Amino acid sequence: MSDTPKEVQFIGEETEIMENDPSMVIKWPRSLVHRHTYGKLTPFFKGLQESKLMATRCPNPKCKAKELWLPPRAHCPDCHADMKWEEIPQPVIATIYTFTKVVYAGIGLELTTPYWQIDVEIPGACTIFKGYLKYGEPKVGMKVKAEFRKDKPTNTILNMCWVPHKG
Amino acid sequence: MIIMKEGNKRIPKWSRRVFVVAGGTTAYRKWFPEYKIEELAMLAFRQMLENNDLKMDPLEVKGLINFCVYGEFADHFQDQLLCESKVHDYLGLDPLYNIGVKTGGATGGSTVLAAASAVASGYADVVLALGWERMDEVDTRTGNMYISTAACKDFETRLGRIYSSYYAPMAKKFMDAYNLSEETRAKVAVKNHLYACSSPYAQQPGKYTVKEVLDSRMSAWPLRFLECCAMSTGAASMLLCDEKTAYKLTDNPCEVFIAGGSHTLRVADRRPQEIPLLPHETKDMYKDLMKPGFRYPGFESFLASRMAAWFAYRMAGITNPLEELDLVELHDAFTISDIQTYGDIGLRPYGQEPDYIESGDAYYINPNTNKPGKCPANLSGGLIGTMHAVGATGIFQGIECMWQLQGKYDKFHGDPKIWKQWGKEKPKDWQSLQIPQKKKMQAAWVSHAGVGSHVTLGVMKKAW
Ligand SMILES: [Zn+2]
Repeated sequence: MSDTPKEVQFIGEETEIMENDPSMVIKWPRSLVHRHTYGKLTPFFKGLQESKLMATRCPNPKCKAKELWLPPRAHCPDCHADMKWEEIPQPVIATIYTFTKVVYAGIGLELTTPYWQIDVEIPGACTIFKGYLKYGEPKVGMKVKAEFRKDKPTNTILNMCWVPHKG
Repeated sequence: MIIMKEGNKRIPKWSRRVFVVAGGTTAYRKWFPEYKIEELAMLAFRQMLENNDLKMDPLEVKGLINFCVYGEFADHFQDQLLCESKVHDYLGLDPLYNIGVKTGGATGGSTVLAAASAVASGYADVVLALGWERMDEVDTRTGNMYISTAACKDFETRLGRIYSSYYAPMAKKFMDAYNLSEETRAKVAVKNHLYACSSPYAQQPGKYTVKEVLDSRMSAWPLRFLECCAMSTGAASMLLCDEKTAYKLTDNPCEVFIAGGSHTLRVADRRPQEIPLLPHETKDMYKDLMKPGFRYPGFESFLASRMAAWFAYRMAGITNPLEELDLVELHDAFTISDIQTYGDIGLRPYGQEPDYIESGDAYYINPNTNKPGKCPANLSGGLIGTMHAVGATGIFQGIECMWQLQGKYDKFHGDPKIWKQWGKEKPKDWQSLQIPQKKKMQAAWVSHAGVGSHVTLGVMKKAW
């Protein structure tokens, strides 16, 4: 056949040997990009771009719970109905439920360490929402206000954080 | 709140009895370049077939196997999809069918559940349950990042990238709600690192003081490094079979029951609900807890563990776990999750979990009385002292229970040849952790994933 290759060339990279004894151990680099969809949760992440906190509620009149979900879900786990979107009224004031100071984190963390990871109660929500405190020191029961980060948007949950709220 | 209807509450039941007859394990290491993972699987498989006093030639026992279930937590650690096929072929078990099971940290327990179901249904008479993890291809922080992808990718992973940061807020809440001290938490770490000193398989043995645990490096406050599980490479293997085969193969089979429960991966999404009661509990016991603002399971408890116990105890006929269990192996991924579980599985009522440690019930020898502990926990050294090669863990802890019931703790932990096989010397001050033998004995072991996303509870009963 005319397209038969003459001679196959190796076009990869040389591989580093990391250990040789008792077993050969080689370096195996990995660097990959995924395409990650937010699917029906897209309104939540678009909301963050517009400094809004969007939650969902089941509209089914027969559904017992009709709770406000944040993190949102597109479908009600109790009756499977399509949920309706609601914006949490501004300013979003929440109460710290519990917290931790993260000192040692896994690779790739996009926040400086140590930082305060906080779990907050948002009025009306049936959930306890996870985030981080931008400054100050958390206490259980302390009020915090949602802030939306506009510089270097990651379009992830890191587009928002919490700051201490006085008043 | 979650509402369970009557059909949802059906108690699991085997169609025929299921037994465990043999187990095998490798040692566990942070860095284990001497062997490939299928080679480690072979070593666990061989120990299972060759060293459990089975009344048949190892290859004849192998010739009875009908079906295999493999546990592996995460493909990306090894960058190898379908490792089940590599291991199965390497063990020389083709062309039998095999399936892989994945339920995070509960993978080992779920592997046993799937294997036992195959025996119970009659699909197979003899089933291999074997699990492994190779977590050493990447450095620790990369490993932590990989594990954190078992949190919710959209709402949690990027906020921590380490699992300790998802348990630490639970620790804070639990300490406030149930008066848990840092010292009690540290005692769990001291105990499990110490018990690991008796195990030739252990990765993190150590004789620490409470102060040393609390002075160790902070991961996510309040959890210190010495309160966190090992990140391990290794494999464990268990052989399950029907009643007839069990007594043909061994004079010391253990009957097994296992059930599971699950709950949202995101702690955020745990809606408050009523406490499902274990057979020995009453609603009245919890009337003081049910104050305004109290959320069950909240951040204090694991609904999945409670439901696993709720189903498994009824399945196995256990009416009061602390009185009826001779030992437990718990999934001590962190000191706090170990303590949280004491309430979930009824070793103490909710709210009184620290007392299981402080009373001395959880120890081999109760430090308060110098007598054997009432229901010792994690004599294997657990995840904090010995291993957390995730897919292997729930299998390893199951076979440690079996060896205890069979009176074979010393055989599998005290033999200098086993220490030597893993490049170690048996310590001069080695101590047996064999629990006293009685006519009737039973053990329970817990396998646990996520922040309580999947949990199995298995019960093993001496059946001779
Ligand atoms: Zn609904």
